[in-house]
Amino acid sequence: MAIKTIEQFRTEATSEINAAKPMKAQVNNQVREFTDAEYETAIEDLAQSKLDEQNNGYKRSRTESYGSWNDQLDALWHDIDQGKLDKTGSWYKAVKQVKDDNPKPS
Amino acid sequence: MAEKGKLIKIQETNVSSATAVVSLTGIDTTYSVYVCRVSEVAPDATDKNLYMRVTKSGSPDSTSNYDSSIYALRSDTTFSTAQFTNGQHWKTSNYASSTGTGQTMQGLFYLFNFPLADYSYITNETTSVTGGNLLIGGQGGGVHTVQSASDGISFHFSSDNIASGNFVLYGLKRD
Repeated sequence: MAIKTIEQFRTEATSEINAAKPMKAQVNNQVREFTDAEYETAIEDLAQSKLDEQNNGYKRSRTESYGSWNDQLDALWHDIDQGKLDKTGSWYKAVKQVKDDNPKPS
Repeated sequence: MAEKGKLIKIQETNVSSATAVVSLTGIDTTYSVYVCRVSEVAPDATDKNLYMRVTKSGSPDSTSNYDSSIYALRSDTTFSTAQFTNGQHWKTSNYASSTGTGQTMQGLFYLFNFPLADYSYITNETTSVTGGNLLIGGQGGGVHTVQSASDGISFHFSSDNIASGNFVLYGLKRD
């Protein structure tokens, strides 16, 4: 999937926010529609959110999928103990699976 | 002796239909520390992060002046940290909120220096269940590096609406 620029995400976000109108703000107990400035902020927020997900989403997914430090060190110990401190070891295979499942965008 | 060491409610609002932004205002120099409590907060689409902003003259400040750090304690024994500088909001948790039954966020935020012409600081403490039924306990802090008074706090999800939640702002009366 091609990497998108912030400008491309702003275009996408503008379409999505326009489709979502009217959007509401609840200030204390008063509900009202967004002002023009708030719509502009919502577009920028959504564009930045999309950019962040593109650039960093895979890192968060990987972090959630890696095991704990304890489990990873234990796997490494077993790999060393079995003479498998290479690509046949359990730690390498587990980490590679996580990376393959959550690829870095390019 | 009356009202010493009490939380004095300033504002409370309940979200019962889709709302993009929730703001609680009313912070002034009456108290030096304020507390915001949120409970049963859920987005209207799964896997969204809840963000916070200060309000200036009643409007959320979206300038890139938010720094924050979060420590996420997970029930599956691992943990994670996240740091942000010059962001457009504070992140309340390092994990997304979801729409499944019972999968809501609860949180307590202490607001420091808001009424002063100085940086606005927060500490945050949250607990939530992710879409994968993983319990996350979050601890962290944040600063808005603008030397002007803030008069409130606002919440929004990374995208999509806030579907439900209770938001309360208190003044901390110490003496």
